Amino acid sequence: MDNAVMDSDINLLSEDSIAKVRNLLACMESGDLEKTQDQFEELVEVRENEMYQEIGKLTRELHESINTFAQDESLLNIAEDEFPDARQRLAHVITMTDEAANNTLSAVEDSMPLCDNVISSTKEVESEWKRFSNRELTVNEFKTLSGNLQNYFTNNIENASKVNGLLTNVLMAQGFQDLTSQIIKRVISLVEEVEISMVDIIKLASSKTNETDNKKIDDPAALDGPVVPGLEASGTVSGQDEVDDLLSSLGF
Amino acid sequence: MAIDKNMKILIVDDFSTMRRIIKNLLRDLGFTNTDEADDGNTALPMLQTGKFDFLVTDWNMPGMQGIDLLKNVRADEKLASMPVLMVTAEQKREQIVEAAQAGVNGYIVKPFTAQTLKEKLDKIFERMDG
Repeated sequence: MDNAVMDSDINLLSEDSIAKVRNLLACMESGDLEKTQDQFEELVEVRENEMYQEIGKLTRELHESINTFAQDESLLNIAEDEFPDARQRLAHVITMTDEAANNTLSAVEDSMPLCDNVISSTKEVESEWKRFSNRELTVNEFKTLSGNLQNYFTNNIENASKVNGLLTNVLMAQGFQDLTSQIIKRVISLVEEVEISMVDIIKLASSKTNETDNKKIDDPAALDGPVVPGLEASGTVSGQDEVDDLLSSLGF
Repeated sequence: MAIDKNMKILIVDDFSTMRRIIKNLLRDLGFTNTDEADDGNTALPMLQTGKFDFLVTDWNMPGMQGIDLLKNVRADEKLASMPVLMVTAEQKREQIVEAAQAGVNGYIVKPFTAQTLKEKLDKIFERMDG
Protein backbone atom coordinates (compact mmCIF):
# COMPACT_ATOMS: atom_id res chain seq x y z
CA MET A 1 0.00 0.00 0.00
CA ASP A 2 2.90 2.35 0.82
CA ASN A 3 4.35 1.63 -2.58
CA ALA A 4 1.04 2.43 -4.25
CA VAL A 5 0.87 5.85 -2.61
CA MET A 6 4.44 6.53 -3.61
CA ASP A 7 3.89 5.51 -7.26
CA SER A 8 0.91 7.77 -7.72
CA ASP A 9 2.69 10.59 -5.89
CA ILE A 10 5.56 10.36 -8.35
CA ASN A 11 3.05 10.44 -11.20
CA LEU A 12 1.36 13.41 -9.69
CA LEU A 13 4.69 15.26 -9.69
CA SER A 14 5.53 14.31 -13.31
CA GLU A 15 6.14 16.96 -15.95
CA ASP A 16 2.88 15.95 -17.53
CA SER A 17 0.93 16.62 -14.32
CA ILE A 18 2.66 19.93 -13.74
CA ALA A 19 1.77 21.02 -17.30
CA LYS A 20 -1.83 20.00 -16.66
CA VAL A 21 -1.97 22.07 -13.47
CA ARG A 22 -0.49 25.04 -15.34
CA ASN A 23 -3.14 24.67 -18.05
CA LEU A 24 -5.84 24.44 -15.38
CA LEU A 25 -4.57 27.60 -13.70
CA ALA A 26 -4.43 29.45 -17.03
CA CYS A 27 -8.02 28.44 -17.82
CA MET A 28 -9.20 29.56 -14.39
CA GLU A 29 -7.45 32.90 -14.73
CA SER A 30 -8.92 33.47 -18.16
CA GLY A 31 -12.38 32.79 -16.66
CA ASP A 32 -13.25 30.00 -19.12
CA LEU A 33 -15.48 27.73 -17.04
CA GLU A 34 -15.89 25.00 -19.64
CA LYS A 35 -12.16 24.64 -20.29
CA THR A 36 -11.45 24.79 -16.55
CA GLN A 37 -13.77 21.81 -16.01
CA ASP A 38 -12.10 19.82 -18.81
CA GLN A 39 -8.63 20.49 -17.44
CA PHE A 40 -9.75 19.60 -13.91
CA GLU A 41 -11.18 16.29 -15.02
CA GLU A 42 -8.03 15.44 -16.96
CA LEU A 43 -6.03 16.01 -13.80
CA VAL A 44 -8.34 13.85 -11.67
CA GLU A 45 -8.10 11.07 -14.24
CA VAL A 46 -4.38 10.66 -13.55
CA ARG A 47 -5.20 9.86 -9.95
CA GLU A 48 -8.12 7.59 -10.81
CA ASN A 49 -6.04 5.50 -13.21
CA GLU A 50 -3.54 4.91 -10.45
CA MET A 51 -6.32 3.81 -8.12
CA TYR A 52 -7.74 1.28 -10.61
CA GLN A 53 -4.30 -0.14 -11.16
CA GLU A 54 -3.81 -0.56 -7.42
CA ILE A 55 -7.21 -2.23 -7.02
CA GLY A 56 -6.25 -4.57 -9.84
CA LYS A 57 -2.97 -5.44 -8.14
CA LEU A 58 -4.64 -6.07 -4.80
CA THR A 59 -7.28 -8.26 -6.41
CA ARG A 60 -4.60 -10.34 -8.09
CA GLU A 61 -2.68 -10.72 -4.83
CA LEU A 62 -5.79 -11.75 -2.96
CA HIS A 63 -6.53 -14.30 -5.63
CA GLU A 64 -2.99 -15.67 -5.36
CA SER A 65 -3.18 -15.80 -1.58
CA ILE A 66 -6.40 -17.77 -1.74
CA ASN A 67 -4.84 -20.14 -4.26
CA THR A 68 -1.79 -20.64 -2.06
CA PHE A 69 -4.06 -21.35 0.87
CA ALA A 70 -6.03 -23.90 -1.13
CA GLN A 71 -2.88 -25.57 -2.43
CA ASP A 72 -1.05 -25.73 0.87
CA GLU A 73 -1.15 -29.47 1.50
CA SER A 74 -0.16 -29.26 5.11
CA LEU A 75 -3.21 -27.14 5.82
CA LEU A 76 -5.38 -29.47 3.81
CA ASN A 77 -3.95 -32.34 5.77
CA ILE A 78 -4.65 -30.56 9.05
CA ALA A 79 -8.23 -29.81 8.07
CA GLU A 80 -9.00 -33.23 6.61
CA ASP A 81 -7.13 -35.58 8.90
CA GLU A 82 -5.51 -34.00 11.88
CA PHE A 83 -8.47 -32.08 13.23
CA PRO A 84 -10.81 -35.08 13.25
CA ASP A 85 -7.88 -37.06 14.64
CA ALA A 86 -7.37 -34.48 17.41
CA ARG A 87 -11.08 -34.54 18.19
CA GLN A 88 -10.95 -38.28 18.61
CA ARG A 89 -7.84 -38.01 20.78
CA LEU A 90 -9.50 -35.49 23.05
CA ALA A 91 -12.64 -37.61 23.21
CA HIS A 92 -10.41 -40.51 24.29
CA VAL A 93 -8.96 -38.31 27.03
CA ILE A 94 -12.50 -37.78 28.32
CA THR A 95 -13.12 -41.53 28.26
CA MET A 96 -9.89 -42.22 30.14
CA THR A 97 -10.48 -39.58 32.81
CA ASP A 98 -14.05 -40.80 33.15
CA GLU A 99 -12.87 -44.38 33.65
CA ALA A 100 -10.22 -43.30 36.14
CA ALA A 101 -12.72 -41.27 38.16
CA ASN A 102 -15.27 -44.08 38.16
CA ASN A 103 -12.73 -46.77 39.07
CA THR A 104 -11.50 -44.60 41.93
CA LEU A 105 -15.01 -43.84 43.17
CA SER A 106 -16.02 -47.50 43.00
CA ALA A 107 -12.96 -48.51 44.98
CA VAL A 108 -13.71 -45.87 47.62
CA GLU A 109 -17.38 -46.90 47.80
CA ASP A 110 -16.42 -50.56 48.18
CA SER A 111 -13.72 -49.80 50.78
CA MET A 112 -15.88 -47.74 53.13
CA PRO A 113 -18.25 -50.55 54.27
CA LEU A 114 -15.22 -52.82 54.79
CA CYS A 115 -13.66 -50.21 57.09
CA ASP A 116 -17.02 -49.71 58.86
CA ASN A 117 -17.18 -53.45 59.39
CA VAL A 118 -13.71 -53.46 60.95
CA ILE A 119 -14.71 -50.63 63.30
CA SER A 120 -17.99 -52.19 64.44
CA SER A 121 -16.58 -55.70 64.93
CA THR A 122 -13.60 -54.29 66.84
CA LYS A 123 -15.95 -52.38 69.14
CA GLU A 124 -17.87 -55.60 69.90
CA VAL A 125 -14.75 -57.56 70.68
CA GLU A 126 -13.32 -54.66 72.66
CA SER A 127 -16.25 -54.52 75.11
CA GLU A 128 -16.06 -58.29 75.68
CA TRP A 129 -12.29 -58.03 76.07
CA LYS A 130 -12.72 -55.36 78.77
CA ARG A 131 -15.03 -57.64 80.70
CA PHE A 132 -12.43 -60.42 80.36
CA SER A 133 -9.67 -58.07 81.65
CA ASN A 134 -11.87 -57.20 84.60
CA ARG A 135 -12.35 -60.92 85.24
CA GLU A 136 -16.10 -60.58 84.72
CA LEU A 137 -16.45 -63.45 82.22
CA THR A 138 -17.70 -66.90 83.06
CA VAL A 139 -15.90 -69.87 81.53
CA ASN A 140 -18.67 -70.29 78.94
CA GLU A 141 -18.61 -66.59 78.09
CA PHE A 142 -14.83 -66.83 77.66
CA LYS A 143 -15.29 -69.75 75.26
CA THR A 144 -17.71 -67.63 73.24
CA LEU A 145 -15.27 -64.69 73.23
CA SER A 146 -12.47 -66.98 72.12
CA GLY A 147 -14.57 -68.17 69.17
CA ASN A 148 -15.58 -64.58 68.37
CA LEU A 149 -11.95 -63.50 68.42
CA GLN A 150 -11.04 -66.23 65.92
CA ASN A 151 -13.80 -64.99 63.56
CA TYR A 152 -12.71 -61.42 64.19
CA PHE A 153 -9.11 -62.16 63.14
CA THR A 154 -10.16 -64.04 60.01
CA ASN A 155 -12.63 -61.34 59.14
CA ASN A 156 -10.11 -58.55 59.58
CA ILE A 157 -7.47 -60.22 57.46
CA GLU A 158 -10.10 -60.69 54.77
CA ASN A 159 -11.31 -57.08 55.00
CA ALA A 160 -7.82 -55.62 54.99
CA SER A 161 -6.81 -57.69 51.94
CA LYS A 162 -9.94 -56.51 50.15
CA VAL A 163 -9.16 -52.87 51.01
CA ASN A 164 -5.59 -53.42 49.87
CA GLY A 165 -6.83 -54.72 46.52
CA LEU A 166 -9.21 -51.78 46.15
CA LEU A 167 -6.40 -49.34 46.96
CA THR A 168 -4.35 -50.96 44.21
CA ASN A 169 -7.28 -50.22 41.86
CA VAL A 170 -7.12 -46.56 42.95
CA LEU A 171 -3.38 -46.58 42.36
CA MET A 172 -3.69 -48.05 38.87
CA ALA A 173 -6.48 -45.66 37.95
CA GLN A 174 -4.01 -42.76 38.26
CA GLY A 175 -2.19 -44.01 35.16
CA PHE A 176 -4.58 -41.86 33.14
CA GLN A 177 -2.52 -38.78 34.00
CA ASP A 178 0.55 -39.95 32.11
CA LEU A 179 -1.39 -41.28 29.11
CA THR A 180 -3.80 -38.37 28.71
CA SER A 181 -0.93 -35.89 29.01
CA GLN A 182 0.87 -37.59 26.16
CA ILE A 183 -2.28 -37.35 24.03
CA ILE A 184 -2.96 -33.72 24.94
CA LYS A 185 0.64 -32.74 24.18
CA ARG A 186 0.15 -34.00 20.62
CA VAL A 187 -3.01 -31.93 20.23
CA ILE A 188 -1.19 -28.86 21.58
CA SER A 189 1.52 -29.27 18.94
CA LEU A 190 -1.20 -29.50 16.27
CA VAL A 191 -2.75 -26.27 17.54
CA GLU A 192 0.68 -24.63 17.36
CA GLU A 193 1.08 -25.82 13.78
CA VAL A 194 -2.28 -24.32 12.83
CA GLU A 195 -1.38 -21.10 14.62
CA ILE A 196 1.82 -20.76 12.59
CA SER A 197 -0.02 -21.49 9.34
CA MET A 198 -2.64 -18.89 10.16
CA VAL A 199 0.02 -16.30 10.89
CA ASP A 200 1.65 -17.17 7.55
CA ILE A 201 -1.62 -16.65 5.72
CA ILE A 202 -2.24 -13.33 7.43
CA LYS A 203 1.27 -12.22 6.53
CA LEU A 204 0.76 -13.34 2.93
CA ALA A 205 -2.54 -11.52 2.60
CA SER A 206 -1.38 -8.34 4.25
CA SER A 207 1.96 -7.89 2.60
CA LYS A 208 3.26 -8.65 -0.88
CA THR A 209 6.93 -8.23 -0.09
CA ASN A 210 7.39 -9.92 3.27
CA GLU A 211 8.74 -13.41 2.73
CA THR A 212 7.05 -15.85 5.01
CA ASP A 213 9.32 -18.36 6.60
CA ASN A 214 7.57 -21.66 6.81
CA LYS A 215 8.44 -22.76 10.28
CA LYS A 216 7.38 -26.31 10.96
CA ILE A 217 6.80 -27.66 14.41
CA ASP A 218 9.31 -30.35 15.21
CA ASP A 219 7.83 -33.73 14.62
CA PRO A 220 7.81 -35.14 18.18
CA ALA A 221 10.24 -37.87 17.12
CA ALA A 222 8.79 -41.03 15.70
CA LEU A 223 7.13 -41.93 18.98
CA ASP A 224 3.36 -42.12 18.76
CA GLY A 225 2.42 -42.48 22.39
CA PRO A 226 -0.75 -44.24 23.48
CA VAL A 227 -2.87 -45.83 20.79
CA VAL A 228 -6.27 -44.14 20.63
CA PRO A 229 -9.19 -46.48 19.92
CA GLY A 230 -10.81 -45.78 16.55
CA LEU A 231 -7.73 -44.03 15.16
CA GLU A 232 -5.79 -45.89 12.57
CA ALA A 233 -2.46 -46.93 13.99
CA SER A 234 -0.63 -49.15 11.56
CA GLY A 235 2.03 -51.50 12.82
CA THR A 236 0.98 -51.34 16.44
CA VAL A 237 0.08 -54.11 18.81
CA SER A 238 -3.31 -54.05 20.45
CA GLY A 239 -2.29 -54.94 23.97
CA GLN A 240 0.03 -56.75 26.33
CA ASP A 241 -0.87 -60.18 24.89
CA GLU A 242 0.35 -59.16 21.46
CA VAL A 243 3.50 -57.69 22.93
CA ASP A 244 4.15 -61.03 24.63
CA ASP A 245 3.44 -62.93 21.41
CA LEU A 246 5.77 -60.69 19.43
CA LEU A 247 8.54 -61.00 22.01
CA SER A 248 8.17 -64.76 22.27
CA SER A 249 8.38 -64.98 18.47
CA LEU A 250 11.72 -63.20 18.87
CA GLY A 251 12.87 -65.87 21.31
CA PHE A 252 11.92 -64.12 24.54
CA MET B 1 17.30 -69.06 44.46
CA ALA B 2 14.87 -66.79 46.23
CA ILE B 3 14.27 -63.32 44.88
CA ASP B 4 16.13 -60.71 46.86
CA LYS B 5 13.38 -58.31 47.87
CA ASN B 6 16.00 -55.85 49.05
CA MET B 7 17.36 -55.35 45.56
CA LYS B 8 17.58 -51.67 44.63
CA ILE B 9 15.30 -50.73 41.75
CA LEU B 10 15.49 -47.52 39.72
CA ILE B 11 12.19 -46.28 38.27
CA VAL B 12 12.56 -43.90 35.30
CA ASP B 13 9.55 -42.03 33.92
CA ASP B 14 8.98 -38.36 33.12
CA PHE B 15 5.57 -38.43 34.81
CA SER B 16 5.76 -38.41 38.58
CA THR B 17 2.31 -40.01 38.81
CA MET B 18 3.52 -43.03 36.85
CA ARG B 19 6.66 -43.27 38.96
CA ARG B 20 4.50 -43.29 42.10
CA ILE B 21 2.21 -45.95 40.65
CA ILE B 22 5.13 -48.23 39.81
CA LYS B 23 6.83 -47.53 43.14
CA ASN B 24 3.68 -48.45 45.06
CA LEU B 25 3.06 -51.56 43.00
CA LEU B 26 6.63 -52.68 43.61
CA ARG B 27 6.21 -52.00 47.32
CA ASP B 28 3.05 -54.10 47.28
CA LEU B 29 5.11 -56.90 45.75
CA GLY B 30 7.66 -56.55 48.54
CA PHE B 31 10.26 -54.42 46.78
CA THR B 32 10.69 -51.41 49.03
CA ASN B 33 14.18 -50.35 48.02
CA THR B 34 13.42 -48.06 45.08
CA ASP B 35 14.59 -44.74 43.70
CA GLU B 36 13.34 -42.51 40.89
CA ALA B 37 14.64 -40.51 37.92
CA ASP B 38 12.72 -38.46 35.37
CA ASP B 39 14.73 -39.27 32.24
CA GLY B 40 17.75 -41.15 30.94
CA ASN B 41 20.16 -38.27 31.53
CA THR B 42 19.35 -38.29 35.23
CA ALA B 43 19.11 -42.07 35.44
CA LEU B 44 22.40 -43.05 33.81
CA PRO B 45 24.74 -41.38 36.35
CA MET B 46 22.60 -42.86 39.15
CA LEU B 47 22.97 -46.33 37.64
CA GLN B 48 26.70 -45.81 37.17
CA THR B 49 27.14 -45.42 40.91
CA GLY B 50 26.65 -49.18 40.94
CA LYS B 51 23.98 -49.05 43.62
CA PHE B 52 21.15 -50.46 41.51
CA ASP B 53 20.19 -54.03 40.68
CA PHE B 54 17.17 -53.50 38.45
CA LEU B 55 15.89 -50.85 36.03
CA VAL B 56 12.27 -50.05 35.17
CA THR B 57 12.04 -47.39 32.46
CA ASP B 58 9.57 -45.55 30.26
CA TRP B 59 10.45 -45.01 26.59
CA ASN B 60 9.22 -41.54 25.59
CA MET B 61 10.89 -38.97 27.82
CA PRO B 62 12.44 -35.57 27.22
CA GLY B 63 16.22 -35.59 27.41
CA MET B 64 17.49 -39.13 27.03
CA GLN B 65 14.79 -41.57 26.01
CA GLY B 66 14.34 -45.01 27.51
CA ILE B 67 15.65 -46.86 24.48
CA ASP B 68 18.89 -44.85 24.60
CA LEU B 69 19.17 -45.42 28.32
CA LEU B 70 18.82 -49.16 27.65
CA LYS B 71 21.53 -49.01 24.95
CA ASN B 72 23.82 -47.06 27.30
CA VAL B 73 23.27 -49.60 30.04
CA ARG B 74 24.08 -52.50 27.72
CA ALA B 75 27.17 -50.68 26.45
CA ASP B 76 28.49 -50.09 29.97
CA GLU B 77 30.64 -52.98 31.10
CA LYS B 78 29.55 -52.69 34.73
CA LEU B 79 25.84 -52.34 33.96
CA ALA B 80 25.53 -54.60 30.92
CA SER B 81 23.93 -57.51 32.77
CA MET B 82 21.37 -55.42 34.68
CA PRO B 83 17.78 -56.54 34.05
CA VAL B 84 15.75 -53.83 32.32
CA LEU B 85 11.95 -53.74 32.21
CA MET B 86 10.38 -51.26 29.84
CA VAL B 87 6.95 -49.83 30.76
CA THR B 88 5.71 -47.62 27.95
CA ALA B 89 2.76 -46.42 25.88
CA GLU B 90 4.68 -47.13 22.67
CA GLN B 91 3.12 -50.10 20.98
CA LYS B 92 4.52 -50.08 17.47
CA ARG B 93 5.80 -53.48 16.49
CA GLU B 94 9.05 -52.08 15.17
CA GLN B 95 9.66 -50.34 18.50
CA ILE B 96 9.07 -53.51 20.48
CA VAL B 97 11.48 -55.29 18.15
CA GLU B 98 14.00 -52.46 18.57
CA ALA B 99 13.78 -52.74 22.35
CA ALA B 100 14.19 -56.51 22.14
CA GLN B 101 17.25 -56.12 19.93
CA ALA B 102 18.69 -53.57 22.32
CA GLY B 103 18.46 -56.22 25.03
CA VAL B 104 15.36 -55.38 27.04
CA ASN B 105 14.31 -58.10 29.52
CA GLY B 106 10.60 -57.29 29.59
CA TYR B 107 8.18 -54.98 27.80
CA ILE B 108 4.90 -53.76 29.31
CA VAL B 109 2.49 -51.49 27.43
CA LYS B 110 0.52 -48.84 29.29
CA PRO B 111 -2.12 -48.96 30.55
CA PHE B 112 -1.11 -52.09 32.42
CA THR B 113 -2.33 -54.01 35.45
CA ALA B 114 -0.66 -54.83 38.74
CA GLN B 115 -0.89 -58.49 37.69
CA THR B 116 1.03 -57.83 34.45
CA LEU B 117 3.84 -56.13 36.34
CA LYS B 118 4.07 -59.05 38.74
CA GLU B 119 4.10 -61.62 35.92
CA LYS B 120 6.83 -59.82 33.99
CA LEU B 121 8.99 -59.40 37.08
CA ASP B 122 8.56 -63.07 37.98
CA LYS B 123 9.51 -64.06 34.45
CA ILE B 124 12.63 -61.91 34.49
CA PHE B 125 13.73 -63.36 37.84
CA GLU B 126 13.02 -66.89 36.62
CA ARG B 127 15.32 -66.36 33.65
CA MET B 128 18.00 -64.80 35.81
CA ASP B 129 18.00 -67.97 37.88
CA GLY B 130 18.04 -70.25 34.89
